[in-house]
Amino acid sequence: MAIRAILALALWELVGRLALVAGGALPAPSAIAIRFWADRGDYPMHVWATMQGAGIGFLIGNLVAVLAGVLFAVSPVAARLARGVNIAIFALPAIAIAPILTLMTTGMTPRVILAALGCYFVTMTATVTGITQADARMRDVIRAYGGGRLASLRLVELRSAVPQILGALRIAAPAAVLGSILAEFGGGGRFGLGAYLIGSLGRADPARLWGIGLAATVLAGVGYAVFAMIAARVTASTVAVTVAATPPAGDAPRPLWQRAALAAGSVLLPFAVWWGLIAASGAPAMIAKTPMALVDYLMLPNKAGERILDALAQTLPITAVGIALGLGFAFALALGSVLRPGIVRAFMPVALVTQTMPLVALTPLLVLIFGRGPSVILWITVSVTFFPAFVTMAQGLQMVARSALDVPRAYGASPWTVLRLVSIPASAPYVFAALRLAVPRALLGVMTAEWLATGTGLGNLLNQSRGYLDYGMIWTVAVLSVLLSVFFYQVVVWIERRVLARLGMTTAA
Amino acid sequence: MPVGLSLSGVSRHFDGRGGRVAALSGVSLEVAPGAFTALIGPSGCGKSTLLRLAVGLDLPDAGRVSVGGLSPAEAARKGLTGIAFQDAALLPWRSVEDNIALPFDVLRRPHDAARIAELIALVGLTGFEKALPGELSGGMRQRVAIARALVNDPEMLFLDEPFGALDQILRRQMNVELQRIWMESRTTTLLVTHGIDEAIFLADRVVVMAARPGRIARVIDIPFPRPRRAELFGTPEFAALEAEIAGALDGH
Ligand SMILES: Nc1ncnc2c1ncn2[C@@H]1O[C@H](COP(=O)(O)OP(=O)(O)O)[C@@H](O)[C@H]1O
Ligand SMILES: [Mg+2]
Repeated sequence: MAIRAILALALWELVGRLALVAGGALPAPSAIAIRFWADRGDYPMHVWATMQGAGIGFLIGNLVAVLAGVLFAVSPVAARLARGVNIAIFALPAIAIAPILTLMTTGMTPRVILAALGCYFVTMTATVTGITQADARMRDVIRAYGGGRLASLRLVELRSAVPQILGALRIAAPAAVLGSILAEFGGGGRFGLGAYLIGSLGRADPARLWGIGLAATVLAGVGYAVFAMIAARVTASTVAVTVAATPPAGDAPRPLWQRAALAAGSVLLPFAVWWGLIAASGAPAMIAKTPMALVDYLMLPNKAGERILDALAQTLPITAVGIALGLGFAFALALGSVLRPGIVRAFMPVALVTQTMPLVALTPLLVLIFGRGPSVILWITVSVTFFPAFVTMAQGLQMVARSALDVPRAYGASPWTVLRLVSIPASAPYVFAALRLAVPRALLGVMTAEWLATGTGLGNLLNQSRGYLDYGMIWTVAVLSVLLSVFFYQVVVWIERRVLARLGMTTAA
Repeated sequence: MPVGLSLSGVSRHFDGRGGRVAALSGVSLEVAPGAFTALIGPSGCGKSTLLRLAVGLDLPDAGRVSVGGLSPAEAARKGLTGIAFQDAALLPWRSVEDNIALPFDVLRRPHDAARIAELIALVGLTGFEKALPGELSGGMRQRVAIARALVNDPEMLFLDEPFGALDQILRRQMNVELQRIWMESRTTTLLVTHGIDEAIFLADRVVVMAARPGRIARVIDIPFPRPRRAELFGTPEFAALEAEIAGALDGH
């Protein structure tokens, strides 16, 4: 391990010294270190500022997420009603609303909000699944002694959700850092790694850009590592030894009119929240657009619709390709890690670095290396979809009960047979979970690359509109990208329901 | 005071992928306060379903179930019942002693440390108080489940194949222990088992069930005086009853 790391570093040094990659776009580690030393006076305040935004957002986002998760697990009605809001928060590409937040709020607020939003969904869903997938046999014990839902929550469900929640916090930590940095790009505040990076962009100094990118990565990585360590400790000793034969009870069937009312409520609620927030902010109507104002904007004879369609035709195909590549790679590697657990150990640090490298910091570097063509979009999209997908699938496969794996093994099954009979079928819920995660991330990756690198598609439209102070278009693109994400997410959910029902499985977080 | 169990005309179906399963169909059974009843039958004849109805985990489609004149759920809330599931169903993050103490937590009673220690000794797990379920063998986990079922001094005790995972020797020992516990407490006990010898050794009455639909095929009284000793297993009277129950299980 250590030897391999040293070898990799030596190779990087060589490549950097000889300027082998795109004429010096990848500087040698020593050059980065020297630049870092020269800049050492600048780092503490920038790191501290980003830590503040990310940390406060992390606390608020996760606290709200766990509370909301408990509420949704206990009340299917609340979960159904909030579904639209939840998915909108999840799907919202942070880059799209950063300009809006900077227009509407001041100081640390945009950072805290984006960091909190980055944490919310993953922790909320983990809480819900952790609670609802708690072992039915254990809940039965509580009920057999007359314990109600609260006793079951207190004694069984919350505790059995802990590994899931810790798993989510691991992912939330880098997401919070990323959220804060994205908000820093949107403007507001002199300090923060994102602000520092933006300030250094014009100087064409790859060593400094890499230094800042690495600093942000380390910050995110430390957050990840802390929760990974806690999660490993908590999970190892307390995995149930046997398989629960009974699936968790489903939601009671509801009459059609109730389902229709809940569905309508869940679609309307995000718009109501949007409206309410704007009313509460008291921002001028020129900047803060309500849903109605956007409809008016699109009616104006300014060819807005045409420009949007052109942008979509550029953005959507490449997003789909990126998702397919990222997920396929993650699936292969996660299955490989069942055969060779060493893969997780060896690969996780690499995956961690790619992922926690905040996208926007990565983009200029990748542009230096890959140019401004579509390949840079693919690199970014694959790297943002791959890691969460890999974590989700590898973790899911690790949770397959020991006894389920032992049965075929006891009959002398080869590792491949175990994979085919147990691991691959058991991974189905996690593949879909990964796909649900991947859709919005891919869109975020594509839009970011379009904004900063290729000058195409929705990302570019957003950036241009920012320049023209075309508030109507800023809002339209933001809302449209959320709607698109939500739409594709729903398509995945629809397929997932059908496939998993056929396999007799339930969805995974 | 031990309480009785009463089932009258109880039916329960499940709609599964293989069509409708009549897990229980028109089952009526009276268990007198303080009696020891064994329930025996082929796998899938509804034994566990009957137990789940009796502790209020499930509701019958038709018929009535009551424990000491109360609905099963009420009886459970009052702490009248104790149950050991077929699958030990331990909480994997709780130590042996904390798992045994679980009913106290649910019933909001203070932990009775002396009682817990006594039960741990009784099921032969002294020294494993702090162990987690993942560190125990199947038989040891099952014994934790039995101790847990006894910890609240229930008036009505349900045991679902509690000794299924134990070896023959330990099983005999546990049979003798269970009889001793029962004679001391006179707790009404319903034991689900697939061991004919175990049923005869322990019970006042053996209820033989048949499958598809799940129903009671025969009820056989066991006349042996108590306390019954291990030597009983070898007697001709014992063998005759074994043959009779085996016949009933085969549908005679
Ligand atoms: N929750 C359930 N859903 C569907 N079928 C069930 C359920 N519980 C039990 N059954 C079915 O009812 C029948 C009786 O089951 P059970 O009471 O567990 O049998 P036993 O304990 O006697 O082996 C079986 O055919 C089983 O498949
Ligand atoms: Mg059973």
